[in-house]
Amino acid sequence: MRPMPTSVLDPRIKKVWRINDAIWITIAALCVVLPLGIAALATEDSLVFLLAVIAAIAAVALYVLCLGVLPPIRYQRWRYQLTEDYLEIALGIVWRKRFIIPFIRVQNTDTRQGPIMRAFGLASVTVATAAGEHVIPGLDVAQAEAVRDKAAELARLAREDV
Amino acid sequence: MEQESVRHHPHHSFIWLGGLRTLFLVLWCAVIGAFSGIAALVSELAEYGSGHASGAGMLVAVIIGALLLFILVVAVLCFGIRWVQWRHFWYEFDPAEFSIFSGVISKKKTHVPYTRVQSVDQKASLIQRILGLCVVSIDTAGGASNKAITIPYVTKSQAEELRNQLYMRKAQLTGVVGTANAAAAVTGVAPASAGNILDGASDFANSATGLFDAPGSFQQAPSFEYGLTNKELLFTGLFNNTSFMVVVVGLVAFFGQILQGLVDVVPNSDAVLESTVENMVAREGALMAGGIAIGGFVAICLVIWALSAVGTMLKFGGFKARRRGDRIEVERGILQHQFQGVAMDRVQSVIISQSFVRRIMGYCEISLGKIDAASGSNSEAEGGNKDGTAGKVVVHPFVKKSECARIISGLLPEFSDMPTQVTPVAKVALRRAVIRRTLWQGAGFWIIVFAALCQGGMHLAAMLSDDPELWDMLFIFDYGAAFLYAAGVVCMIVNCIGAVLWARESSFAVNRRFMQVSNGGIGRESITFPRQKIQFGCTRSNPFQRRAHTVTLRATIAAGIGGTTISLIDAREEAGAAWLQWLEPRR
Repeated sequence: MRPMPTSVLDPRIKKVWRINDAIWITIAALCVVLPLGIAALATEDSLVFLLAVIAAIAAVALYVLCLGVLPPIRYQRWRYQLTEDYLEIALGIVWRKRFIIPFIRVQNTDTRQGPIMRAFGLASVTVATAAGEHVIPGLDVAQAEAVRDKAAELARLAREDV
Repeated sequence: MEQESVRHHPHHSFIWLGGLRTLFLVLWCAVIGAFSGIAALVSELAEYGSGHASGAGMLVAVIIGALLLFILVVAVLCFGIRWVQWRHFWYEFDPAEFSIFSGVISKKKTHVPYTRVQSVDQKASLIQRILGLCVVSIDTAGGASNKAITIPYVTKSQAEELRNQLYMRKAQLTGVVGTANAAAAVTGVAPASAGNILDGASDFANSATGLFDAPGSFQQAPSFEYGLTNKELLFTGLFNNTSFMVVVVGLVAFFGQILQGLVDVVPNSDAVLESTVENMVAREGALMAGGIAIGGFVAICLVIWALSAVGTMLKFGGFKARRRGDRIEVERGILQHQFQGVAMDRVQSVIISQSFVRRIMGYCEISLGKIDAASGSNSEAEGGNKDGTAGKVVVHPFVKKSECARIISGLLPEFSDMPTQVTPVAKVALRRAVIRRTLWQGAGFWIIVFAALCQGGMHLAAMLSDDPELWDMLFIFDYGAAFLYAAGVVCMIVNCIGAVLWARESSFAVNRRFMQVSNGGIGRESITFPRQKIQFGCTRSNPFQRRAHTVTLRATIAAGIGGTTISLIDAREEAGAAWLQWLEPRR
């Protein structure tokens, strides 16, 4: 079998994922649980109350899953490797994917940083081809710059090679 | 070398043909808007006229005069505006880029570097064809975000000149001018191609250069050219997708009607009460009505089929595909003429596909995948995207399987080295495909589930409510459910056959330069693309696949708008690993 790529993401990305997911789950849960809860209190209908309880349980289960269980596994599964000629990415828990992106095909590379990532001093590197782009989500800012530069350099060299 | 920056305007029919179009539109709107007023006026006139014969004549004359004046003013306005627009619309060949200037009040300049020109296509409607004009659209290699550029109302020779200029300058700038042409010159002789009945008409229309067109300029001779034979053209017409759907729908409806007829004819419990004679008459009547309905339906289906066949034949009439230098040109259409050109290095893939009918007859369709720009603001340029042909150029709609290799080696010698050593899908793929396609991805299974749920629900409701009317309704429901069950089972059988065929025929193959992915089934498709054009590759596996030691191969190329992914489900794990290895660029 093909060996897994060697590089791993910055461990702080787990916290970023947790905060991101927490925000989304909270918004979704508020949209569902709150109206149901109000309706249950207002009508005192047992069915609505049941629905509200189910929604609340689902929200809690999602919190546990996305904040407790998934991030370590996801982090464990997310690997990448920069070689001379190509970028290899392995990711996925249920659907496991292995990408090979030759640098000859890379059109541009850049780093991006959202507010949460900035708070942790992380950045993501984006590698774009003519048919879609790939993101390495959490790297230390300095490391991200280095990876970006290396990817761009390799892409330039590969292009000259052809 | 000609003088730089000459302003090329479109043909003068830009003014009057465009003006006429606007004029008709305006008048049409005016007539619609003023319709009630005119009607009232006419009735008033009729009343008035019956009293005062002499005065009525005057009034009519005045009204007609006013109308004429109105039309004249509108016409002058339309043509005047078009004239000003024409004055401000021109294109230039600058040293490094092609520039288009347009707009009277808000000026617009579009610059296209020659190196970015990907293809120069032209299209002509019937009127434009008669006048020897066409609409040119220029595709640029910028991916999905930029639009195609269209230049309306140019003569055919002007379009030819434009195309030659663009390609020549591109070749000069990229510095690949000599090689490709020399290679083409060596292969030289254009083989005589079989013709068909519509070619004559098309040739006539092409050779009659139209009212305003001079004979075209000299061009490099094509190295390979072919058309369609009578048989191929006829088959293309008869078995296009629309007509095939019509036939299928017709057959389904036909059998439905027969079933209905049978149900009607079977004496039911109510009929026992009536006299046998009446019963007989009713039966005869039902049969007759059923027969007429079936006959009518079949006739309608046949007519639609014939019309769609003729339409497709006109669309593909005068079909010519040729290799000229490093470009592939395809032109077709009797009424609406269409000309597509693709530079060889822009061809992303060669697609050989067989629909069910083509497969039975041993024929196939060959098309090329190319990068498509999002269509421009001009509505005339959108035709390709609407009929689902985005990113595809059909180079032969209906060709014998055995002829494929000859055509590909003639039209695209670069693709003649196709891989032959195929790696079939894993053995376990058969079981997985049957389960996947007949159960959770097949429509048949879900139709049956849906019918069962509905039927169960109805029976439950009837049992709970004890309503006698609901019990009667159940009979109708049971009939419906039985029909759905039958349809579902048929669907599942078809899906199952498709799955078995898929598992037997699907494979991928690689050699040094190319990858080929074949996906079988009721219809078959085999896509070949150069390793150089693969943007990225990916293997994917879900838990079931990991237990069965298979992976899905996914290769993404840039064809179409925003890329196309070609996938093969359930290749063996080792084959997948070897493929990833193959995908790594080598030095």
